[in-house]
Amino acid sequence: MLRVEGLEASYGGSLVLQGVELSVKRGEIKALMGRNGMGKSTLLKAIMGLVRIRAGSITVDDKPISGLATHQIALAGIGYVPQGREIFSDFSVLGNLRLGLLRFPKAQRKMPREIFDYFPVLEERQYQRAGSFSGGQQQMLAIARALVGKPRLLLLDEPSEGIQPSIVQEIAIILKKINQETGLTILIVEQNVNMISDLADSCSFMEKGRVVYTCSIEEILADETIITRHMSV
Amino acid sequence: MDPVVQILNGFNYILVLILVAMGLVIIFGLMGVINMAHGEFFLLGAYTVVMTTRLGLGFWAGLIMAPILVGALGAFLESVLIRHLYHRVLDTILATWGVSIAIKQGVIIIFGPEGLMVEPPMPHMVTIAGVAYPAYRLFIMAMALLVILFTFYLFLKTDFGLGARAVIANPKMAASLGINTRRMYLTTFTLGSAIAGLAGATMAPLMSCDPHMGLGFFIPAFLAILVGGAGALGGILVGSGVVGGAQNLISAIYSPIAAQIVVFSLAIIIIRMRPEGLIGNRSNG
Repeated sequence: MLRVEGLEASYGGSLVLQGVELSVKRGEIKALMGRNGMGKSTLLKAIMGLVRIRAGSITVDDKPISGLATHQIALAGIGYVPQGREIFSDFSVLGNLRLGLLRFPKAQRKMPREIFDYFPVLEERQYQRAGSFSGGQQQMLAIARALVGKPRLLLLDEPSEGIQPSIVQEIAIILKKINQETGLTILIVEQNVNMISDLADSCSFMEKGRVVYTCSIEEILADETIITRHMSV
Repeated sequence: MDPVVQILNGFNYILVLILVAMGLVIIFGLMGVINMAHGEFFLLGAYTVVMTTRLGLGFWAGLIMAPILVGALGAFLESVLIRHLYHRVLDTILATWGVSIAIKQGVIIIFGPEGLMVEPPMPHMVTIAGVAYPAYRLFIMAMALLVILFTFYLFLKTDFGLGARAVIANPKMAASLGINTRRMYLTTFTLGSAIAGLAGATMAPLMSCDPHMGLGFFIPAFLAILVGGAGALGGILVGSGVVGGAQNLISAIYSPIAAQIVVFSLAIIIIRMRPEGLIGNRSNG
């Protein structure tokens, strides 16, 4: 469903992506791992059109999206949960969620019931200021806000960052459930090996701006040296 | 002059000042563009009325046409000029300053440099608290109040406003959620221009219309934003109240020159003590 070929992009003056090859199958949960500064976040930003691409192509269901404006990429069915969540902290929880609905014509801006089924805490606290939420609740809000727009592909950037382990596990379970029930394809950048082994079907490792190794999650569980080889500093 | 008239005139001025400042602050908040041509949008609104009265279409046609024409000009400028300069603050100041000079000179070429008068459209007086007061000034106040309320409603209560505030707070995230930030910029620039044009049109019968009249509202509006704070819409109300109120009160008691001195000194003191403005910080849009 997502195919990235020969992607090059620079960020802050240096060439961060140096020919990335990556594909994600429909309905798959793919983890993108690697040490800090290897270009994982930049890759997600490049897919969203937030970083200018120098070379290469990105296609979703064989339609090229590289070169489109960010909002058009979102409308092409890609949801994005950035690192640090970037919720609108002065808006209410409901206000944040409604932002995901603004892409639809006025008559169709109804909050999908499933959102509150997956994240009941958001319904209970929908009128609360989003900034008053804990890190874990903000993460749930950021994921829900992306899901409201009914994406076919969800990009998640380090969802476990700064969140207590029990909530990380809860989020992983919810994401797995959404994936199984709706067939949502997920590309997740993550350092947390526990979360990945709970969640992902396959895993790609990035090193110096390239994808250097791809394998199934079973292979990782069977051979721990894969992780240490690509992740240890 | 009777103090009741003085106070009503003060309110009149403050409300029109809010109209001008609102357009400026919306454009600045959303796009980071300091529109130096905003005063000239006001000017063009006033001259639209001059034009329609000369053509025999009358004042009211001008009042309706001013926001439409000036809004269209704003849309045009946004798409051919300002769009290419986003996030380059200094360049937008220079570019819009150039536009302001061009508009002023254009007006001089077409209408001449002298002050022009517009016939008062509602010459009768209304008695308020025992004093006679021009009905037209009451009309301006009511209309300004309506436009202010509408703008606040638009930005604080509607889906459009929710999207606009999201773009103000975090344009990249807003775009990632599928909000067309470019179109949002165009819409708000048009809206801000149209409001300035409307403000100019309403004031035309009360002032002598000359090519420099825009500055007389641009500078106090700018001060009002600095004093009130550029972040929150509510800041404009406070800022315009302080600047417009002081200006009018001191003009009435002493002289317009004394008023200028006091207002500028007051602005310097307030900005020195509260750089973020009397109300608020940037984030609570």
